[in-house]
Amino acid sequence: MEIDVAEPERSQAACERCGRPLESTVACLECGALLRTDEEDPFRAFGIERAFEVDAKLLRKKLLKLQRATHPDFFATQGEAEREAAERATSSLNAAFEILSDDLRRADWLVSAQGGPSRDDERQMPQAFLMEVMEWNEVLEEARDGGTGDPNALATLTSDLDAARTTELAGLERDLTPLPAAGDERLRTVRRRLNALRYIDRALGEIGTLTR
Amino acid sequence: MAYSDKVLDHYNNPRNVGSLDKGSDKVGTGVVGAPECGDVMKLQIEVEGDTIVDAKFKTFGCGSAIASSSLATEWIKGKTIDEALAINNTQIVAELALPPVKIHCSVLAEDAIKAAVSDFKAKRAEEASKHTEGAQQ
Repeated sequence: MEIDVAEPERSQAACERCGRPLESTVACLECGALLRTDEEDPFRAFGIERAFEVDAKLLRKKLLKLQRATHPDFFATQGEAEREAAERATSSLNAAFEILSDDLRRADWLVSAQGGPSRDDERQMPQAFLMEVMEWNEVLEEARDGGTGDPNALATLTSDLDAARTTELAGLERDLTPLPAAGDERLRTVRRRLNALRYIDRALGEIGTLTR
Repeated sequence: MAYSDKVLDHYNNPRNVGSLDKGSDKVGTGVVGAPECGDVMKLQIEVEGDTIVDAKFKTFGCGSAIASSSLATEWIKGKTIDEALAINNTQIVAELALPPVKIHCSVLAEDAIKAAVSDFKAKRAEEASKHTEGAQQ
């Protein structure tokens, strides 16, 4: 894992105000200093190791801790610049949390960060998969039109899609552990899995509106 | 967002909706999709010699995606496969007056034509190699 080689320098960075080592790139958890940050790395914002697997409990704990340090209310009596800095810190914290707490968004971020293909680079899916998507849509269309065919079609489709979703999610974890380096074919595979998951989730969402 | 009259016309009255026999040697099938919106488009061509004698499509997606594929089938009918390959998404954008956010729909239609043609060419190449093998036996 190349990441570990580059990382120590970062995590050893010290807070300019209290001199203690910095855990997060958003705020110093020791003295509460807000860090002027244009850091886009959600893992660094939370001071956790860059990996697909994230400990949800630890993430929550860190969020609370960091929220306490950056909440704009605590800077109400201070100058405008400090208040604005707190607002910026809070919003970058929230943005980081959104990514870290969502399997799909985390995988998406990791593929790009590891130098893998972007969404636009890797859009086309195999014909066989797209044919399947056509078939899902045909079932959905029939259900929308009142459904003359198989009454269980929607239930069958739902369980197929759920199974496909589980497979792709497990695949994401497998292909991103340990994290592939740039050029690794697994990054392309993950991008394809993310594409597949978007089609799957869209179809499941459609079923949701049909059966509500 | 308001659709142009031409988009609405194709949407309400799509040309060439349906399927051709996927198994036929004369038929090329292309399926393309846009992961960000979940649209999928199937476009099929039937070729005699080098001329596209029939084209059908089925699209699940927004009005612009349906209109783009409907227009594409209209345009490629009667053309040679090389002429069909020359169709560019910007021509579709211009014809349907698609707004910037819908340009990807026209790209999808262009990709669908190319996918159908390449499927047809692959079939033809396979057919040709079978004949050569047959001749050798």
